[in-house]
Amino acid sequence: MIDTLHVVFRVGATEYVIPASPVLGMESYDGATPVPGAPAYLAGVIQVRGRIVPVIDLRVRFGLPPIPHSLDTRVVVVEHGGRVVGLLVDRAREVIRLVREQLEQPPAIVTMESGGFVAAIANVGPRMVMLVDLPSLIGAEEKQQHVQ
Amino acid sequence: MSDTPDLSEFLDAYLGEADEHLTNANAQLLAIDTNLRSGAPVARQVRELFRALHTIKGLSAMVGVDPIVAIAHRMETVLRSSDRGGGHLTSEAVDLLLQGTRAIELRVRAVREHASPPDAPRALLDALDAFESEPRAQLASTDLLPLALDPRVATKLAPFEHEEILRAVLAGRRAICVWFAPSTALASVGVTIRSVREKLGSVAEIIKVVPISMPEGDDAPGAMVFSLVALTTLSDDEVAGRTEIERRFVVCVAEPPAAEAEPAAAEADPLMGADDGDALIDVRRSGVVRVEVSRLDQALEHLSALIISRSRLLREITRLGELGVDTRALGAIAREQSRQLKELRASILGLRMVPLTEVLDRVPLIVRGVRRSTGKTARLEVDVGRAELDKAVAERIFPAIVQLVRNAVDHGIEGREARLAAGKPDDGVVRIACAAVGNAQLELRVSDDGGGLDRAGLARRAGAPIPETDAATLALLCRRGISTRDRADATSGRGMGMDIVRRIVVEQLGGELSVHSEPGRGTTFALRVPLTISIVDALTFECSAQRFAVPLSAVDEIIEIDTLRVAYGPQRAGGAVEWAGVMERRGAALSVLRLDAALGLGHRAATGPMRPKGLIIRSDGESFAFVVDRMLGQQEIVVRPLTDPLLAVPGVTGATDLGDGKPTLILDLLALCVRHRGAGARNMSGLGPAGRTEHRA
Repeated sequence: MIDTLHVVFRVGATEYVIPASPVLGMESYDGATPVPGAPAYLAGVIQVRGRIVPVIDLRVRFGLPPIPHSLDTRVVVVEHGGRVVGLLVDRAREVIRLVREQLEQPPAIVTMESGGFVAAIANVGPRMVMLVDLPSLIGAEEKQQHVQ
Repeated sequence: MSDTPDLSEFLDAYLGEADEHLTNANAQLLAIDTNLRSGAPVARQVRELFRALHTIKGLSAMVGVDPIVAIAHRMETVLRSSDRGGGHLTSEAVDLLLQGTRAIELRVRAVREHASPPDAPRALLDALDAFESEPRAQLASTDLLPLALDPRVATKLAPFEHEEILRAVLAGRRAICVWFAPSTALASVGVTIRSVREKLGSVAEIIKVVPISMPEGDDAPGAMVFSLVALTTLSDDEVAGRTEIERRFVVCVAEPPAAEAEPAAAEADPLMGADDGDALIDVRRSGVVRVEVSRLDQALEHLSALIISRSRLLREITRLGELGVDTRALGAIAREQSRQLKELRASILGLRMVPLTEVLDRVPLIVRGVRRSTGKTARLEVDVGRAELDKAVAERIFPAIVQLVRNAVDHGIEGREARLAAGKPDDGVVRIACAAVGNAQLELRVSDDGGGLDRAGLARRAGAPIPETDAATLALLCRRGISTRDRADATSGRGMGMDIVRRIVVEQLGGELSVHSEPGRGTTFALRVPLTISIVDALTFECSAQRFAVPLSAVDEIIEIDTLRVAYGPQRAGGAVEWAGVMERRGAALSVLRLDAALGLGHRAATGPMRPKGLIIRSDGESFAFVVDRMLGQQEIVVRPLTDPLLAVPGVTGATDLGDGKPTLILDLLALCVRHRGAGARNMSGLGPAGRTEHRA
């Protein structure tokens, strides 16, 4: 299903979008508490309105080198399958409207190289944005394994 | 209400008592309902109900919540006329009375939330009035009886209050009016409207408290005065004497007619007077004490202090031992004491537990209400045994259960025809059951034998594909603004519901919510919640510049670590950090583990002076010392479990907020120990996760 409203965020030089419906909020970021033994892409845990939220560093998830966080750094807090997870991104400011027709299958090479994180691509005016696949991003499959 | 300045100090007590009496009133009403159906007598319950309502009315009058007074009064009237009519109540009257208690509840809640309670619904008042079998003809003669009331007060009295005063006066009591002008001078010696109310309340029945604002002056230093209208059998002098109110402020409003001064005041109300002794015995027999949670917390706090001083005692005993003193007897006593303290702690924590049955005792009312409003026939089965929940958890989870039960009757259970067509008994069943999950969680299940969740309809309304799994259905159901029904209705409203349930279970309580639904067979919601919102005493310390906490109970002892005295053996290939060593302690070898290495933390300098300490953990009779950079202190922490699978790592059990708004991890050192022993000497470096990326600074 394609929601029309999408949140745009930037990781490295690329702009990504996710549907706005699972997004609970965007928080500024001043560091997370590292969790020893967690996957490398887990920046740590933060507290959002009393709740402990794991934060996935999308730079690491996407294989980019870490950079120091700035005033632009955001945690996009999403809810998926009963879990609440934060996505650490370089910047997140915009919400845009995307209609189904704008979305295209990503080129095979992108699909392969992205490790299944990119579900579709879209042209928004002069820009190209990538629609990320939230479940694979937050490791929903790993959860299944965990439960079993 | 807003012009009653010190209502607030009164409020907590009022709210607590009002709740208690409301609960009782509801319970009596349900019992009456049940008895009426089975043809059993209801006189005793009617009497109990009357008492509860009367108390609510009195309390509400004292704090000036007029709408509640108006409703409670009319409910009393209905009961009184039923009593005169031989104690019979119709089912319609029970319905109306339930509406009444509901209306009172809503207004009590408004007061709790510091909102001004809405006026009593006219329709309800009229309906209640219509139930009074005896019209007020009897009172006509008493209209002649004048009340010597200040007009400013008289205009504030509702007709029924006026009437109540007249009735009481006819029955032999005196009506008085007490004036009180609050001032800072009086308040400084403890005389406030509250103290006056309390004193007067002990010798008279307060009908109404009317605050009157007036220009500031000698008569009203606080620019206001209170007029308390009350009924009593005492003379003005006696009232003044017993309440320490100046005689000139006690004014007679009405005296009973001389000829009728005979009957005792208690006779005025057969419902009130009847066997109070019974009630007293009941109170004693139930053996229940109401205690404020804050007092329990205080007890826990004292206990924590005791635990701290025990740790000091243990240290001193150790020191003596090291000096060569025979401390075996002392040690035995100290161990005994530790055990006793642990038991004491468990008992105090146990005091906060409330039986689940008590939490659920209002649910039948809700089912009854929904049954009425939807016309469905549904029966509630509660089978929770003797399960208990922490009061804080119970309070939070109750609204979720209510919502689920409402949904079950309203949306889950099919209409009569559909049920019969499906070959089901026409009575739907809503069942609440529970099961313990481990020793820290409870799973509550709310199920119905209805038609199951309508996935297609749900998907249509959400504009989403039809969910294939129960989990996906639940996710859709919990979206904001999603209802399992097309139309909004009074029972479940539209949307909101499941969203709130999920928020309570998952966010507030750190639990889990799941659903299982089978088309045609019914739906079960499972709420897995912690038995307690756990608060533990913890040691906080720093390790590789990161703060951590461990439950105090897990640590046997804290020792000084002289790094020079720790011998690290040859390290394995790839084991870059010297992390496991031994040191001599009391003539034996003690295993020393560096916590930073055990956790796989890169070494970073402490944020303060390094004072390495060893936290001694006992595992299977063997002691280990985990070395940390420096201790920060000891404090009570609220444990938040880490439920996300990304955070399911060994040795980390939860997180807490030490006051900086950032999570601090709570460690399970024992799990790290066990892991170490499991790994044995095979691959010690395997303990630390390989290739952890350095966290961004």
